[in-house]
Amino acid sequence: MDLSVIDWSDIWIATWETLVMTGVSLFFTILLGLPLGILLFVTARRQLLEQGVVYAVLSFVVNVLRSVPFLILLIVMIPVTVILIGTSLGVEGAIPPLVVGTAPFFARLVENVLREVDRGVIEACQAMGIRTHRIIFGALLPEALPGLIAAVTVTAITLMSYAAMSGVIGGGGLGDLAIRFGYQRFQTEVMVITVALLVVLVQIIQYSGDRLVLYFTRK
Amino acid sequence: MIRIENLHKTYRAADGREVEALADINLEIGSGEVFGIIGRSGAGKSTLIRTLNLLERPSAGRVLIDGEDITGLGSEGLYALRRRVGMIFQHFNLLNAKTVADNIDWPLKATGHTNAAERAARVKELLALVGLSEQGHKYPAQLSGGQKQRVGIARALANRPRLLLCDEATSALDPETTQSILRLLLDINRQLGLTIVLITHEMQVIRTICDRVAVIEGGRIVEAGKVADVFLHPQHPVTRSMVAQSDALAAASFDPAHAYMSDKLRGTLVRLTYLGDVTYQPILSRIMAGATVQVTILQGEVSSIKDVPFGQLLLELEGSEDDIRAVFAELDRHQIHHEVLQ
Repeated sequence: MDLSVIDWSDIWIATWETLVMTGVSLFFTILLGLPLGILLFVTARRQLLEQGVVYAVLSFVVNVLRSVPFLILLIVMIPVTVILIGTSLGVEGAIPPLVVGTAPFFARLVENVLREVDRGVIEACQAMGIRTHRIIFGALLPEALPGLIAAVTVTAITLMSYAAMSGVIGGGGLGDLAIRFGYQRFQTEVMVITVALLVVLVQIIQYSGDRLVLYFTRK
Repeated sequence: MIRIENLHKTYRAADGREVEALADINLEIGSGEVFGIIGRSGAGKSTLIRTLNLLERPSAGRVLIDGEDITGLGSEGLYALRRRVGMIFQHFNLLNAKTVADNIDWPLKATGHTNAAERAARVKELLALVGLSEQGHKYPAQLSGGQKQRVGIARALANRPRLLLCDEATSALDPETTQSILRLLLDINRQLGLTIVLITHEMQVIRTICDRVAVIEGGRIVEAGKVADVFLHPQHPVTRSMVAQSDALAAASFDPAHAYMSDKLRGTLVRLTYLGDVTYQPILSRIMAGATVQVTILQGEVSSIKDVPFGQLLLELEGSEDDIRAVFAELDRHQIHHEVLQ
């Protein structure tokens, strides 16, 4: 393997782009997915704000979005992305499909994490005469915090691998580099380096997430 | 304080059948009273206590608290009611993510008490009341079961309720811890004049702190009254069987037909029951001193129910009918209840 053929500045730029795509998408994924997940949880059967129809509709939409393979979603989303931010290429162009692809996934994770919170605790809050929104924000979410952090960690890693995939439609970042140089120009060295960098990034995210979960666990 | 009228609760089971969890419950619970509801698991006691703060909505009937029918309350009324009614639970249901002090502060903070200094003072007062002044900074996971229940009690009292509901509050605790929690509940009942309604499957809990008891079976109240009356003279088969399982009160449910000595008995089998001061007086020896009747004690207990001393003895009396009748007359004169079993 001849590392001298590698243009390191390209690699660092691509790494930075991957981090930006993952970070910005993660931000919007949480912004959309967390409320959606909370809504899924509270409207479900026998929960705080049971609403059968609302739950059924939300659940259906989430399932539909989750059943579209991400590669297809990337292509289907192109016109929408152009309308939203003017281009479907580069770092910016990759963010809308990434968010649409992972927000429903994150919402389901949130719903499951909230279901793990002891029912008795929520019931105790109800017995104290506390209003539902205060129970959600003051008791439910703090109780679920370690689980929510774990869900964010899983989602961040999923986003990173999706971000790499967006290189297929010209998304930018390490995936783009791997496809254009590593695959199309047969520069195996670039392929190896980009994959190695992705492995390192994933390890860092997982490790940090685990540490945070541990820090906030009180059980 | 509480009046329950013709209360029914039916719900639909998973297989579509209607299940009657509570049927025609009528109860009256006085202010300042410690009222126990005892029953086997599945008898409906949990459903019953949960209708008192509408965690469970009754299907029919009324629940009046301080004269107000709570079944008609809208959501605002319900919030207000629940702030006046404290509740503690078998599994404590503390918030694991909050410290002990924050757990007690939470019902205050979340129900609109904005003055942080006042709240802190109240939390301190409550921690002292339940004997946890040194534990405020800890998390629930660092506490023992008994300590967790103390936090539960402090939290339930934060908004100064006049009624405390205890849902199997000692069932997850060992006997020693159970006694200490019961003592605390009794202290609170006396100091604050708090009305306590508790459900349990443990006779010991009822005997230790309750003034009155209702026995529930199959969603119906089968027997109710003062604890001493119900436990010393159980009428319903369910009550009898519960009493029989409690070693301490075995004489109350003694069944001569099943007793191993039934074929050895020659005389008259009599059960004596007495309550109050008479318990610690040598009345039996006085009565027997003048009689020619032979007495054998077969079974018995001298103890107390809440603070009332009582005795219950199973005796075999041998002698002439006249002599035995004379003994019974003496017993009556000293207000010792007697019952001829065989």
